[in-house]
Amino acid sequence: MAIIDGCDGECQPRVGVYALTSCYGCQLKLATVQKIMEIANAVSFESFYMLSSASKHPADVDVAFVEGSVSTEKDLEELYEIRKHSRILVALGACSVNGGVQSWAEGEMTHEELHAKVYGTGKIGMKGLQATPISKHVEVDYYLPGCPPEEDEIMYFISAFLFGTFPEPKDYPVCSECRLAGNPCILIERGEPCLGPVTTAGCKARCITFNVPCIGCRGPVPHDTAWFDSLAMTFKNKGISKDQVRERFRIFGAHNPNLEPMLKKIYGGTD
Amino acid sequence: MRYVKISKQNTYEFLERLKKIGTLYAPHKISEKFFDFCEVDDVKDVMFEYQRTIRPPRRFFYPEREVLFTFDTRKVELYENLPSDKKQILFGVHSCDIVALRTMDSKFIDDQPDPYYKSRRENGIVIGLSCLPDEYCFCNVRRVEFVDAGFDLFFHELPDGFLVRVGTVVGHKLVDPYEGELFEEVCPDDTENMSKFEEKRTSMFTTQGNWDNLRYFMELRLNHPMYIRESEKCLGCGNCTLTCPSCKCYDVQDIPSIDGRTGERIRFWDSCQFRSHGLVAGDHNFRETKQDRFHNRYQCKNSYCSATTTSFCVGCGRCTYFCPADIQFKKNLMEIAGYKGGYS
Repeated sequence: MAIIDGCDGECQPRVGVYALTSCYGCQLKLATVQKIMEIANAVSFESFYMLSSASKHPADVDVAFVEGSVSTEKDLEELYEIRKHSRILVALGACSVNGGVQSWAEGEMTHEELHAKVYGTGKIGMKGLQATPISKHVEVDYYLPGCPPEEDEIMYFISAFLFGTFPEPKDYPVCSECRLAGNPCILIERGEPCLGPVTTAGCKARCITFNVPCIGCRGPVPHDTAWFDSLAMTFKNKGISKDQVRERFRIFGAHNPNLEPMLKKIYGGTD
Repeated sequence: MRYVKISKQNTYEFLERLKKIGTLYAPHKISEKFFDFCEVDDVKDVMFEYQRTIRPPRRFFYPEREVLFTFDTRKVELYENLPSDKKQILFGVHSCDIVALRTMDSKFIDDQPDPYYKSRRENGIVIGLSCLPDEYCFCNVRRVEFVDAGFDLFFHELPDGFLVRVGTVVGHKLVDPYEGELFEEVCPDDTENMSKFEEKRTSMFTTQGNWDNLRYFMELRLNHPMYIRESEKCLGCGNCTLTCPSCKCYDVQDIPSIDGRTGERIRFWDSCQFRSHGLVAGDHNFRETKQDRFHNRYQCKNSYCSATTTSFCVGCGRCTYFCPADIQFKKNLMEIAGYKGGYS
């Protein structure tokens, strides 16, 4: 896999970039990184429809990047096929890693109720499913979060694979990057429900730098270190209600198994 | 020690002239409640009265993120990326932060000389500034409220300017060219005023006495219930360590280029509050739980620095002021030691 082992560019790793239900923003980001030409020379894109109509689906690849959530039965079938044909599978972006905004109804509404709310009695040409992160269905090797992912992280992932090593996950929150950026703390100063303390770092606290509290698009910090309970306690002390807190946490974190128990711990069983 | 006086008006002129020597950084107000050391553009923006900056001054000598060296995997060579010798001048550093820099020196220069830190420190000029404490300050009980080393010049506020203590040869060279022009002789009234300022300052601290026996109580009460109660509130966000003027932990990472032939090794600030800080090979973690990590900071900050004969914590109050979860470090320590004013 590593191209430094006397390969001299002849044995290019095969890469596939796929999309399930999503806005295609993640692969657009990947397609428009500054060094895309260097990447295209170093790897062989077997499947990347945004770049080439000669793409195969699915193709046998060394690394597959999959964006989007599983929201239809077709998505699920495709995902299984992709997994079968890929040595390494990377979940690319918020939808793929955490289900994305379309999965907000998880645990709130059944798929039928949700369908009725969005489409009424209208029919759609495919069998829909409750939107879920891809890790609910297949084994995922690496997670590259973000809405869309950051260019430096995309580059880090690809260069690490090419080097024959693996990308190290970030297990610390946006809050830390925000302090290093020298931003005033919105949560302390204005008491606004910023999700920086529970959201995976990597964005260099972009929103807060523009004076907007974090909504958690990069998803909860991995390895069970997103302390929803402690943050809910902080919000509660600032007079923010359970509903408000819950709604905010659920935008990008509805699938996190710790969310509901931790909220219940602070606010109790009632809303 | 040499003492001179400068008027407020001349101080602005002095700052203007400092800008010609190197890059000048000084405290600026960045929002309603926060201050930070920023590069000085207009000297009139410099804040002479502030409690604490959101980012500690150590970052000028030990940046949040730096490239240590680049490497070539084919030639198996590395190329060090040592800092340039440009001068960095820090104006307005409080005594707590000056002592914190000396604790940094004890690790990055005395123990294991770090060429990157050492070079920046040698090219740095530190100008201290007196201050009045708020309820978060406890440098006095840490015995660092008045420094006698670690600064080139120290400005003590007077009603009509500053009484300046000259601390080093570099400090003399900053004053010499402007003696009689910007700087004047100190008169007995100035000394009287400095004395009054110190008296007022001493009375303003909300904690009095000293905490010399604290570190022993920290060791004797390792299982104090405070750790369980307070770590429950903790967000594990690392703000306490990243804003701390004496935290030293870093991580390094190799970032290869796309062709895999070159790359760079970067160093960036780490925090003992993060899970991966204690993570080693074989997936073993020295500090597996949030409580373990919370506990670690309390022990580390209260341990003894022989170079300064103080604790590593200098009582600046940042870890409490910038804690989103409002965890009160000072009160928690007082609770452990059984000092009045703690929670219990």
